[in-house]
Amino acid sequence: MRRTVLKSLLATAVMAATATMAGLPAAYAADKEIVIGGSIPMSGVFAFAGIGIHAGIQDYVRMVNDAGGVEGYRLRYVPEDSAYAVDQSVAAFKKITSQNKVNFYYGDSTAFSKTINPELERAGSMIMSGASFATELNDPEKFPFQFIAGPDYTQQFGILLRYIADEKPGARVAFVYSDTEFGRDPIASSREVAQSLGLEVAIEIMTPPGAVDVSTEMARLRRARADYTIFHGYILGPIPEFISQARQLRLDTQFMGTFWTMDNSTVMQMGELADGFMGVMPYSYYYDDSTSAPMLDKIREMRPEYQSVPYIQGFLSAMLYAETARRTIAAGQEMTAVNLKTALNSIENFDTGGLIGVPITISGNTIPVGRIYRADIQAKRMVPASDWIVLE
Amino acid sequence: MRIGTARSSYRHDEALFDSRTQYAWLAILGVALLGFPFVADEYWLYLACLVAINIASATGLNILTGYTGLVSLGQAAFMGIGAYTVAAFEQKFGTPVLLNLLAGGFVAMLGGLVVGLPSLRVKGLYLAISTIAASVVLHFVFANWHSVTGGHSGITVAPAEILGISFDTSFRLYWLFVPITIMMVIGAANLFRTRIGRAFIAIRDRDISAEVLGIPLLRYKLLSFGLSSFYAGVAGGMWAYFFRVVTPESFPLLMSIFFLAAIIVGGMGTILGAILGAIFMTMVPEALKLIVGWLPLSTDATLILSPVRTIVFGALIVGFLVFEPLGLQEIWRRIRRFFHLWPFRA
Repeated sequence: MRRTVLKSLLATAVMAATATMAGLPAAYAADKEIVIGGSIPMSGVFAFAGIGIHAGIQDYVRMVNDAGGVEGYRLRYVPEDSAYAVDQSVAAFKKITSQNKVNFYYGDSTAFSKTINPELERAGSMIMSGASFATELNDPEKFPFQFIAGPDYTQQFGILLRYIADEKPGARVAFVYSDTEFGRDPIASSREVAQSLGLEVAIEIMTPPGAVDVSTEMARLRRARADYTIFHGYILGPIPEFISQARQLRLDTQFMGTFWTMDNSTVMQMGELADGFMGVMPYSYYYDDSTSAPMLDKIREMRPEYQSVPYIQGFLSAMLYAETARRTIAAGQEMTAVNLKTALNSIENFDTGGLIGVPITISGNTIPVGRIYRADIQAKRMVPASDWIVLE
Repeated sequence: MRIGTARSSYRHDEALFDSRTQYAWLAILGVALLGFPFVADEYWLYLACLVAINIASATGLNILTGYTGLVSLGQAAFMGIGAYTVAAFEQKFGTPVLLNLLAGGFVAMLGGLVVGLPSLRVKGLYLAISTIAASVVLHFVFANWHSVTGGHSGITVAPAEILGISFDTSFRLYWLFVPITIMMVIGAANLFRTRIGRAFIAIRDRDISAEVLGIPLLRYKLLSFGLSSFYAGVAGGMWAYFFRVVTPESFPLLMSIFFLAAIIVGGMGTILGAILGAIFMTMVPEALKLIVGWLPLSTDATLILSPVRTIVFGALIVGFLVFEPLGLQEIWRRIRRFFHLWPFRA
């Protein structure tokens, strides 16, 4: 009896292992569906963003399917945790793509986007976007089947610098960034942008990753007498330390940040130091009711509690995947990478339902739009400080 | 020693495998390795390649830490040297793949010899700290030597190409990586049957006694560092051909800890230990994902179970260390011993 049970258990295990290794498809029909795969960082250092991205994609997929799908096709979302490690992200990609006919893919990092690029070109069957806003990816020749659902880091700097040039022509600007690929990304190119806008880059300060003591850097920043200080390459630390020391020294500079610093919860973690902190945000905040935003209304209806900006980014990514698929199917074309990318690039003056406050156009690999927000510590919210800025 | 394997000659005594049963199992393993690419999908082939790379590097670290007793947290940085060398050779000279891999190994070996110099004076945690310092220096070099390393953006590597065949899929890379790793593992196994290998073990067990026995410590400690780094360099070179992008952030300190954990979990100072440890550390997170995937749960559950999976992985490592300090290879040895007499002794 015991042997029979053991044998059947063993047989089941062998069958399950064989089925998994051979990558047998799931039991449901694979036709008439659009598959969105994703290496999502649900654990690890980037989990704070991954959880939001996951919820955003999931909600949009559910919403579209509840409304009948896209041109008769159902969306299917297949996520895997990547733990924000390239080897695990690639493993997730291989697993998902070998078991599903994937049309769109969400990647978790710049390193993954670069690593998987030859694979995307070889497969020729899907396009990809992700959590990376790296300037390098904004090259349709090198990355023909990828896009960024927002402005790249240089464009985010461009939006900030455009705002500064309008507010205070000829202002002195400081760039403070981390010594990482992420931190260094927009610095060299933004130097030229500042110059073209008539701004002076007073100082560039690079800090080691994870720097805590910034007193030396602060002394240099003080001597530079910058009107505006832009942080990049950080989530939060060491920004509060910089602001705290600047307040003690009565330094008159306006601190600003880029996307990954600008989530409401991240900024509000700074407490009193956050008051007046500004930055660029490509999307409307969850609570933004300054203009009519039907899609934000739906999100608020589905999830009454605050949703982070990575959630909005995930939601918008899924929306762009669906719109791209819709255009490809409507044109009677096969969903190949080339056709999907052509359909994506045909998106012009597209209404995102208020996720981005102006109609968007995707001519290359990015959506070069953003808005400047300012932290209101009393209301514990980010409030608009400018209109939407669209880069040419 | 198992029954029926009485060693009657020195040759027999020195053999790596001493029984027909072992040869039979090896043959089965060989057939399985040959057949695997034809039954496995891209995902499993990817994991097989990753395991092969990790076994090569873990075996290298085992030579240094497991056999010579020198703790190193610089394995990832040495892999970085190998990866950058291969990437630069491929990009600038377009030299043959095997030559690039060898060059990666040798350049990493030179790095290892330099980093190993303090090992004559310091041991244990002190040596570990000095290897961390070397990693930081190497990271700085990778990030700032723009003309060779491409700075923070790194280098994109063309696919490996041998006789006009482009090794651009996991299926093809499997046929490149697995034989190389097997050769490296056999090389390491044979090393410990030579004077050099035995000198390493003597140094590990008591370095002063080893010196009294006539083993020049500097030479052998540096040799161990060099060999270990060579293994890391070749593994790093394979890594470069595998992921095709090499950046300074590709080889973090965490990766060195991963390899150290692999040989500790697998069993330090045994060839099988490095193999089992590398397989365990690479495959368990994926196996846990598969188990979660098999459960009839929604995608929300995937989100909730992700951190749980990480905790289970950590708990498994701690569990092995507590309940089997000699590592997975000891468990394997016990299982083998059980079956030697099975079914006559339960």
